[in-house]
Amino acid sequence: MGKYIVKRVLQFIPVFLGVTLILFAMQNIVPGDPIKLIAGEKKLDPQTELNLRATYHLIDTDADGKPILDESGNPVETPLWKRYTLYLGGLLQGDLGVSYQQSGKSVSSILMEKYPYTIRLAAVAILVEAVIGILAGMVSAIKRYSFWDVLVTLSTSILVAMPAFWLGMLLQLFFGIMVKDWTGGGFYLPISGAGGPTAEFNAGMYYILPAITLASVSTAYTARIMRSQLLEVMNQDYIRTARAKGLSRRATILHHALKNALIPVVTYIGIDFGGMLAGAILTETVFNWPGVGFETYRAITQRDWPIVMGSVTIIVIVVMVINLIVDISYAFLDPRIRYGSSKDQG
Amino acid sequence: MSLKSWMKGEPVAVETPDQQRDAAPAEGTTIDAGAPSRTLWGDALARLRRNRLAIMAVIWIVFIVLVALTADLWVPQTLGGPTAQLYDARLPMSAAHPFGTDQVGRDVLSRVVYGARISLAVGLLATAISTLIGLVMGAVAAYYGGFWDTVIMRLADVFLAFPYILFVIVMLAVLGSGIQNVFIAIGVLGWPSIARVFRSAILSVKENDYVDAARSMGASDARIIMRHIFPNSVASIVVYSTMNIGGAILTEAALSFLGMGVVPPDPSWGILIEDGQKFIATQPWLMIMPGLAILLTVLAFTLLGDGLRDALDVKMKDA
Repeated sequence: MGKYIVKRVLQFIPVFLGVTLILFAMQNIVPGDPIKLIAGEKKLDPQTELNLRATYHLIDTDADGKPILDESGNPVETPLWKRYTLYLGGLLQGDLGVSYQQSGKSVSSILMEKYPYTIRLAAVAILVEAVIGILAGMVSAIKRYSFWDVLVTLSTSILVAMPAFWLGMLLQLFFGIMVKDWTGGGFYLPISGAGGPTAEFNAGMYYILPAITLASVSTAYTARIMRSQLLEVMNQDYIRTARAKGLSRRATILHHALKNALIPVVTYIGIDFGGMLAGAILTETVFNWPGVGFETYRAITQRDWPIVMGSVTIIVIVVMVINLIVDISYAFLDPRIRYGSSKDQG
Repeated sequence: MSLKSWMKGEPVAVETPDQQRDAAPAEGTTIDAGAPSRTLWGDALARLRRNRLAIMAVIWIVFIVLVALTADLWVPQTLGGPTAQLYDARLPMSAAHPFGTDQVGRDVLSRVVYGARISLAVGLLATAISTLIGLVMGAVAAYYGGFWDTVIMRLADVFLAFPYILFVIVMLAVLGSGIQNVFIAIGVLGWPSIARVFRSAILSVKENDYVDAARSMGASDARIIMRHIFPNSVASIVVYSTMNIGGAILTEAALSFLGMGVVPPDPSWGILIEDGQKFIATQPWLMIMPGLAILLTVLAFTLLGDGLRDALDVKMKDA
């Protein structure tokens, strides 16, 4: 077991370095001089510009953060490799740089502000996904080929095939407009920008539609995995043994089949939690949700690269760490993983 | 790239001489579809024909492709092109304008028809790009193994560590929006999963005796890959790519919705949703119709992929 964990963690390191390298490269390919982006139409005085360049590690600085000048008094451009080490060093200390547009605000403080909204939304969505997905999958498997099975299979196919943000719009259209009187106008149209102050997003009601939207695709997958796993487990010898010793079908499913069928489902949901922290960009944009995804979208439209790269970096790291945790806990849950070889998994 | 051209390729496992293949089937072959065919693709096609959902999917795909290709012939030119004829703005659905008109008075049905061109082009081309890169990467990794395998698969790990949609968005933020960049971003970032599928398919084929036989007869690496390994591991790629097309169409829609994909006035389905959502309270059909087009088309590619998977008997890990 210890060996497996060490192996997984060691595999994590090159992937982490590769991911940060790609992000760093993209950050430096982005066209345009960041200083011009910050200044906009304004003219900056040379000293301010010099300091800004130092802040963004575009030019070499000494230990106090003062720009180093060469013999002719010109600043020295920081070589790329040095910028990467500075970026990586900052990253490890939780320093993601400073926003271009929101003057002087550090990216990490902005993300700290936004993350709670994203995490809460993801938590509600995971709840929706787990409850509805597992139940639907169970019904589908237990009553195989019944009306309910067909209904579940059909609706999962449809959910997976529709753009989730479009589903978000349909939900807003239905609850925000068509049945407005019935819901007492409780659901508004966040897409039209009628979001209002952030405080509003604390009311539980406003979590319902975004959570359904965010959870839609994963709920469909959860139901499918649950169905196929349960069907597979029901074919196992130990289930036949349980039935043969006189246990009812219900008891067999509840006490023997379900636990084993749930392992891959729980793993999927775990990995999906990471994905939700990342993929919420569309849902959050459709619902004007003040989370990391919407902030990233906003930053992209305003070319605020430090925020874009910072939030993407954090999201990628969170996803990677969650995957690692899920992988390791999977080995705890399923002893076959620990001892079985995984040489063909790439 | 029809199934037919594949069918003329290598027979699988059973070495059938050319002249016998087109002749009457051997007695006693028990293929469950009951088709008188001895090739993998012949059997698969026969099995696919009996899958009603897959047939419906094929009909829809053929329909939408024909509609997209022939739009210029039957959609009045004035409706689709840059010199679009303008009607009254925001007309409701009627016989003259089945999907109504948009905020500047363009006929929405025509826009959806022309949108099919761009959305399908993105789906097909981006999938073609990622399949091609994935095939080369997967083939090199599996066939040469060792160092190249490690490098390519670790690279795939790095790419897969990114949440896909986020990766595409960042890529487009760097490249800038526009249809070519959408092809590139979706296409380039999609290779790792194809590479993995193809790699494991090759690994399972590679050890077969007929590959050794070919090598002992002096066949070159390229010939072995193209003539022996590729035809025998292509089934999983066909299934995977078919499903990928739908994914690419969805990704394009998401990008256009975020304003980073195809640039208006090119009407991709994603752009049409984004355009229509501004009038969601008053003319909801403006965003509903293009969304329905996406839903049906992606669903069709998924169902076709499912059908092909069953017909070709491909085992997929996460399907």
